[in-house]
Amino acid sequence: MNLGHVALLFCLWLFLSPGLLLAQGLDPQKLLQREPTDTWPTYNGDYSGKRFSPLTEIRAENVRSLAVAWMFRVTIAGGTMRGVGEPEIKSTPLLVNGILYFTIPDHVYALDARSGLELWHYDWVDAGGHLVGNRGVGMYGDWLYFLAPDGWFISLEAKTGKERWRKKVADEKMQYFTTAAPMVVGNHVMVGVGGDAIDVPGYLESRDAVTGELQWRWNTEPKKGEPGSETWPNDAAMAHGGGMTWLPGTYDKDLNLLYWGTGNPNPVVAGQGRAGANLWTCSIVALNPATGKLAWYFQASPHDTHDWDNTETPVLFDAEIEGKPRKLLAQAARNGYFFVLDRTNGKNVLSKPFVPLNWSKGVDANGQPIPDETKEPREDGTLMTINGGGGTNWMPPSYSPQTGLFYVNATLGYSLTYLTDTSERPEGYGGSGRGLWSQHVLEALDYKTGDVKWSHSYTDDPSAFRLGGPGILTTAGNLLFTGDYKRNLIAFDATTGNILWHFPMLRSLGNGPETYLLDGRQYLIVGGGDTLYAFTLVPAR
Amino acid sequence: MCASERNLVSNTVLHALRCSLATLVLLGVTALRAQQAKPAATEGTGETQEDNRALRTREFLGLGRMPDVKMAAEGAKIFGPNCGFCHGADARGGTGPDLLRSPVVLHDNQGEVIGSTVREGRPSQGMPAFSSLTDDQIRDISEFLHLQVELTANRGTYKILSVVTGNPKAGEAYFNGTGKCNTCHSTTGDLAHVGSKMEPPDLQQAFLYPGARGIANGGSKSAPKATVTFPNGKTVTGMVKYQDDFYISLYDADGKYHSIVLDQGVKVQVDDKLVFHRQMLDRYTNEQMHDLTAYLVTLK
Repeated sequence: MNLGHVALLFCLWLFLSPGLLLAQGLDPQKLLQREPTDTWPTYNGDYSGKRFSPLTEIRAENVRSLAVAWMFRVTIAGGTMRGVGEPEIKSTPLLVNGILYFTIPDHVYALDARSGLELWHYDWVDAGGHLVGNRGVGMYGDWLYFLAPDGWFISLEAKTGKERWRKKVADEKMQYFTTAAPMVVGNHVMVGVGGDAIDVPGYLESRDAVTGELQWRWNTEPKKGEPGSETWPNDAAMAHGGGMTWLPGTYDKDLNLLYWGTGNPNPVVAGQGRAGANLWTCSIVALNPATGKLAWYFQASPHDTHDWDNTETPVLFDAEIEGKPRKLLAQAARNGYFFVLDRTNGKNVLSKPFVPLNWSKGVDANGQPIPDETKEPREDGTLMTINGGGGTNWMPPSYSPQTGLFYVNATLGYSLTYLTDTSERPEGYGGSGRGLWSQHVLEALDYKTGDVKWSHSYTDDPSAFRLGGPGILTTAGNLLFTGDYKRNLIAFDATTGNILWHFPMLRSLGNGPETYLLDGRQYLIVGGGDTLYAFTLVPAR
Repeated sequence: MCASERNLVSNTVLHALRCSLATLVLLGVTALRAQQAKPAATEGTGETQEDNRALRTREFLGLGRMPDVKMAAEGAKIFGPNCGFCHGADARGGTGPDLLRSPVVLHDNQGEVIGSTVREGRPSQGMPAFSSLTDDQIRDISEFLHLQVELTANRGTYKILSVVTGNPKAGEAYFNGTGKCNTCHSTTGDLAHVGSKMEPPDLQQAFLYPGARGIANGGSKSAPKATVTFPNGKTVTGMVKYQDDFYISLYDADGKYHSIVLDQGVKVQVDDKLVFHRQMLDRYTNEQMHDLTAYLVTLK
């Protein structure tokens, strides 16, 4: 074999090997890497959901030298989106080989991460569904996965933005909506759904990364006679469903378990037709990613009547409990509780409120909160100690192994909850709420005790309201990046909570900040309203 | 289900329908107003605000065409005797399926999907064919079903039922006693006629925390007053225009504008008039809250 033959064979091999042919694709090994530094390949940066980066170029001592490297503003026809107003970036962009991929509802963008230059833009025309947000894309090799708001699961070529195929995964006419970032595990693409205006069942689907075909579907409610059905009064009540799966989960490759949060049961507020715990709504579930089989569950809000969607990120980390190394899962739940579980079996390690609350009387032997029936929604109103939207919401929290602290943007507050459908067979929400005083607070929680190690109350309007809020990133530079509700991007000292730096953006931080190395330089990427900002330290020249 | 129960259900449905008719007629008016490109009134009467809420919510949800309420009222009369026996007079199911979350209904626009199902029936599932219904009757039934869906799915149409359930005498005693409301407020002064100025649900929300979001026609709150103290001891006092963790701006008593960066050593003291309202939120029982509401609505 002469050199010419070798070269020819090499070219042939390149041509036939899809992973290498398109050199800008995502190496699947990168998805299995913990805390990667040169890429941000999935919604949370890695499968753990920690949103912690080991990068230290930007650190407490020099964070004041951060400067805007570039900005990219999304512009859409008409300027506003149906039912929500101006577009807001809630997605966490993927960074793969120098290209950023991010979304707003109905739109996917690819940007040159060095300059913010738009490479392509995919524009979907929806036939319904909520435009409340879109959390981003998933990636497998050279392909991207995107959920359009009206139940379409779409695969794009990462290089061009060209559509490969689309599959219907949820029916927007049944009031499902699809806002999640698809999550790739092996050749499985996990697709979650939302919906609460019509009483429909929740589910999580695994779709084939190559073809988009259904591999399995896990239903949030059991079928007639199955385990869990005993927590519903009858099959008709169980058919009202709920338990949506609208935020990405997390994954432990060693245990080969997928962790997912499920939303509230239906009807949302009027619970009189569904006596019982209503499994597996308002729970954290562990599933086998190959089969969708349930390994264990922990129910955060049995028989929820307060819209305590339990979809908040289940964050995975290994740390000591009473001197022994443990595989843990922690969640700051919308219902106001901070939970720490043993992620091998779902056994409760800690349940403690991180905001004042009165909907629960305490926890049972399994660490699950016990609802206080005197705080059920009433026709004439029930006064609640907790913000109407919960103690936190979908915005990503962070865990820093460096400080051992779990960070969450919380809201303290009081609210009123009303029952508006008093019939025996309520349907829809069947109730409503009104806000009273509330206060946004950044909290640093000790994972061992749930104690608030430090907190920062943002100076804010006491009855301000925003659907969603700022996410959190921590780094080995002892930094915590997040934002307030008044446009400021803020860097905190992760250990003490002291503010080190801030930058007033055009609009408030609306996504989870991320960081990575590109050309040996550390970048910080954040979404403020309709604009993506890239920061680096002020360059030497 | 016995006959009297059926009547009861029918009456409830008709009552709900009547209430919803009023809402939706108003909605239609608001929609027309919006179409005429005039800015829709968002301030002013609670009614208009609620209509806007309903319209905004249905836009957000991506609900389809607005159901025709007159046709729906006709449809209710046909639906009851023909369909209610199996599907329930409220269409929420009985021996037959719940139609509020039926794909047939939710995929229907103007009777075209519902119509074929009704006419042909579903013999395998025990649903007879209703072949004698006219096109108009089917259209009316469809609108009735779409209206039921609208009133369930569109939470912007929900109404708080009644907040006046407490004992006004006990509320008065609380106002002047345990609650110490009379320390700052007077039922003949600032709260005179408050019961006729605000709708009861707004009043309940407003006395708990004035200025809370969503209170219609009242409950407004003035800008807080703040004093900024500089390291050299100099102070500025005024009404806050803007404040965050890094910066404050305010108008002093002469109307002069001050814009201050909160550098180290600069202190801000906000005079929060509502601090007592906030502290009370930890103290009220549900009963005390409802008694107070019942008392305040009597202040006509």
